[in-house]
Amino acid sequence: MRAGISIVLLCCLLLAAHAPVQAATEAPDCFIDQGPCTKTATGRQVAFEILPRPVKAMKELTFAVRAIGRNTAPTVLLDLSMPGMYMGRNEVILKKTPDGSYSGKGIIPRCPSGKKLWRAEVTIPGAGKVSYTFNVNP
Amino acid sequence: MLTRDSLYLLMFGSGLLGGIGHCSGMCGPIVAAYSLHLRPSGTEGKPYTSLPHLFYNAGRITTYSIIGGLMGLTGSFANIVQAIEKFQAIAMAGIGAVMILIGVATSGLFSFGRQSAISPGSKSIAAAVTDAVRRGISFIAETQTSGSFYVMGMATGFIPCGLLYTAYIAAAGAGAGSGSQTEGFLKGMLMLFFFGIGTAPSLFLIGRIAVLKREWIRKRFYRISSLFMIIIGAMLIYRSFRY
Repeated sequence: MRAGISIVLLCCLLLAAHAPVQAATEAPDCFIDQGPCTKTATGRQVAFEILPRPVKAMKELTFAVRAIGRNTAPTVLLDLSMPGMYMGRNEVILKKTPDGSYSGKGIIPRCPSGKKLWRAEVTIPGAGKVSYTFNVNP
Repeated sequence: MLTRDSLYLLMFGSGLLGGIGHCSGMCGPIVAAYSLHLRPSGTEGKPYTSLPHLFYNAGRITTYSIIGGLMGLTGSFANIVQAIEKFQAIAMAGIGAVMILIGVATSGLFSFGRQSAISPGSKSIAAAVTDAVRRGISFIAETQTSGSFYVMGMATGFIPCGLLYTAYIAAAGAGAGSGSQTEGFLKGMLMLFFFGIGTAPSLFLIGRIAVLKREWIRKRFYRISSLFMIIIGAMLIYRSFRY
């Protein structure tokens, strides 16, 4: 009995990372290689862009956010994650630029499993959170 | 702003959390495979010690800490990764090849004794090569010292992993913000050290379960454990080419 439980536990641990954690319905809602993506957060339009394009993993990238309206916050927080797969905390602080947008540099790691769907969650003080799901070229 | 202590705690937590779902999938099969082929220590009442697992994890954490230190020293993730990318693929293929060899050697399908199969009078080159391969496989399959587990752990530390990359990015970022290169190196090294410590419990658990239930598994799944090792090895080689 105990042996059986141990084997089940071992199998669960080994299968945990190989399980198709990325839901079948998960699909990109932003085609970041084609240009900025715009979404609405508490009535304000927020555009998100990554340069250079095509967006590649393991390369230094410039992340930019432009929110329509008056932006008083000196920084906004960008949280990069992989849907359904814990990849550690990868945050980029975007600083306000003279033109009123926010910009910062960061890196999106490559997942050796072949998964390429990433999510960027932008937290704008006063405007809440908005997330973009997009594919990254390996 | 994160204090230094909370930064290390965060790295430890990241390793601990990621270790369960992430590392157990990548390194877990390697740990389970070598654990199934561990030889009893000979100590009565405690035939399988935790030492192989401790040395394996120590090796892995050593590699993480060194690379983390280099990330912190240079403050650049991209440069270091670019420099070690080929080596990572080679290490992954190498581990895969060793696993296949051990799997084949322990499957019982072939005879891989240490004794030379060539008769003294035989001059055939093919026979000599076959004998050398046989001896090599036998040596790899039978060498089970603390040092060999430490080296295996160090090599495994090079296997590319997304979670690990995120930790390296954090180390490079911390290094870039440091006052000196020495401080950056130490910070990066310690960050990855704590991250590695965090990933150890899940792999240690997999190893211990596999080794404790080794006989149970082997009795019921004769030769399956060797086949499992060969499959994991082939998967690693495939991934190394795709990487």
